[in-house]
Amino acid sequence: MIELGTIRCGTDGSVREARRKIRRAVEALSDEGMLGGRIASATSQLLRVVNQMSGDARLDLGLDVDRDRPEFVLAFIGTDVRLEDDIPPAFFDTVRRVTIDGKSVLQLRLELRSVRDGALAEPRLRALRAMIEKKDRDALMRELTVKNQELQESFDNLRRTTTAKERMESELNIGRDIQMSMLPLEFPPYPHRNEFTVFATLEPAREVGGDFYDFFLVDEDRFCFCVGDVSGKGVPAALFMAVTKTLIKSRATNDFSPASIITHVNDEIADGNDSAMFVTLWLGILDVSSGRLVYTNAGHNPPYLRRASGELVRLDRLHGPVIGALEGLVYGEDEEALARSDHLFLYTDGVTEAMDPQGVLYEEDRLVEVLNSGEFDSVESLVAASTEDVWRFQAEAEQADDVTVLAVRFEGRARGASDVHVLELEARNTFEEIDTVNEAFETFAETHGLHSKVRRSLKLVFDDLLNNVISYAYNDDEEHVIEIHIELSSDRIAVRISDDGHPFNPFGRGTPEKGSDVASREIGGLGIHLVESLMDEVSYTRRTNQNVVVLVKYLSQNTMEKESA
Amino acid sequence: MKITVDEVGDASVVRFQGNLDTNTAPEAQDRIDELVERGVARVLVDFKDLDYISSAGLRVLLATAKKLGGQGGSLGLCNLNETVNEVFEISGFSMILNVFASEQEALAGF
Repeated sequence: MIELGTIRCGTDGSVREARRKIRRAVEALSDEGMLGGRIASATSQLLRVVNQMSGDARLDLGLDVDRDRPEFVLAFIGTDVRLEDDIPPAFFDTVRRVTIDGKSVLQLRLELRSVRDGALAEPRLRALRAMIEKKDRDALMRELTVKNQELQESFDNLRRTTTAKERMESELNIGRDIQMSMLPLEFPPYPHRNEFTVFATLEPAREVGGDFYDFFLVDEDRFCFCVGDVSGKGVPAALFMAVTKTLIKSRATNDFSPASIITHVNDEIADGNDSAMFVTLWLGILDVSSGRLVYTNAGHNPPYLRRASGELVRLDRLHGPVIGALEGLVYGEDEEALARSDHLFLYTDGVTEAMDPQGVLYEEDRLVEVLNSGEFDSVESLVAASTEDVWRFQAEAEQADDVTVLAVRFEGRARGASDVHVLELEARNTFEEIDTVNEAFETFAETHGLHSKVRRSLKLVFDDLLNNVISYAYNDDEEHVIEIHIELSSDRIAVRISDDGHPFNPFGRGTPEKGSDVASREIGGLGIHLVESLMDEVSYTRRTNQNVVVLVKYLSQNTMEKESA
Repeated sequence: MKITVDEVGDASVVRFQGNLDTNTAPEAQDRIDELVERGVARVLVDFKDLDYISSAGLRVLLATAKKLGGQGGSLGLCNLNETVNEVFEISGFSMILNVFASEQEALAGF
């Protein structure tokens, strides 16, 4: 069974969302006309019944490919809903009631009589999973409500316990914490994607400042990113930012026009905006397969496009004033075609308004000079060059405002299923399983002509990381499954290792003490240090109940050449 | 993994074939410990047929070097492939252990 994802639904609003997702899933898998709509209707009727009976339904979607024909499987978990004599509801083929992990599961199966071409290829399934797992508008709003409540509580608490001065200081700090906690901070965020890269940094000022940035993949090809600056400071500015960010993300889920997104977000914010706060915002959506960029600038500093040739283009069209000031405005948008290795550079006024110790402003000319200087071969180098120049200029003067920089690089590469090889493995938590993994990887590496140096490095990495997980991740004696996903493309090999052990980030612990002789040398921490050194990128994320480690090794010209056995 | 031990003069030459990792380290440690306990002063580990070494394998080497050093003996290593060499550089082992290009050089030099 291929798992596609889980939908939770407790309210009518989320039933609508579930219906939309199921429809899109069926349409992605099958080219039978009308089938998606029919299945979605049948499922949403069922969901309403389930909700009435148990209040909260969980629905797992999957694909059973071990049949004559692939079957789309919907599983209602932990529900006692009885279907009349267990007759499948309209349009489904079979209904089964099974018990999985002690829970009653109602399984509905739909035979896919006409599978859409290529629908079962891994990249397409990945896109499908992303669509299903994407948080819907209601979930985002619920999350925001909870966050707001928490904030209100800590704020009330603070009011009771502190003096006015302390309160102001703490309020600024709380505002800062909220601001920073809302930014995506893990880079690279999409190690498996080779069509584009993104990097951003936000250096908060001590007092003023309400900068933010955000980015996310709307679907497999559309990459949405934005940079903004909220007027004001402290908790009110941070909350305003949280609302703006959430509205943008929820709107961008099914609206692919920056102009339309910003027009709607502006209406929602301006309506009842008693605090008279506002936000400058630049938002773009890049089609990472074609390089087509559509963007809207709402009162923000014009970004720069640095062509691969070195040419610098200022995207100086403004499509309307700042957001939140006036209801009913209609924003416009512009288009730009990005070519291979073009960089887009976004920033906030904290950059151009940075001051040196004599009070001289940094200004845009200095930024242009930096952007014109040298060759930038990555988003990281571009971001580093620009921010370092600001820090040099500022010297020991106090930073007056937040400094935010975000760069996107379009790689102009086609993502093809054909040139990506995938190996999926599952290992139980015993040491013997490390050998099984390495044997399977060996075969995979040989089949695809992976250079022996990279192959050996990865086997070492698997040995050390899996050893770590098996030895330390679990507090019980139960059997656990460690998932290993390997993707080999023409220029890189990416590995994802997921375990359901207790939360643990192995990375970033520094270089172990090397010692000057054998007698003083210790061995602790060496395995992870080897992994960090041998791989080009390592990252760790905690997902619900899983530790997810992602590793990337780029294949250089030397290691890309196929080896003769 | 296959481990063979040959006596060359007063040295014991240990040859590993395969990997020195989590699952093979215990056996490797046992075989080398036998030599150390027997009082062999010079142990040369030949990595010619070793595919890779992980931190579990490095642990065996360090423990052996410590034991031999404690009784006035020494440990030598030779024929490191590119990956093993890189691991030695990263871990700093190339600085604290005796590494040689070939078995001849090693037998003459440590």
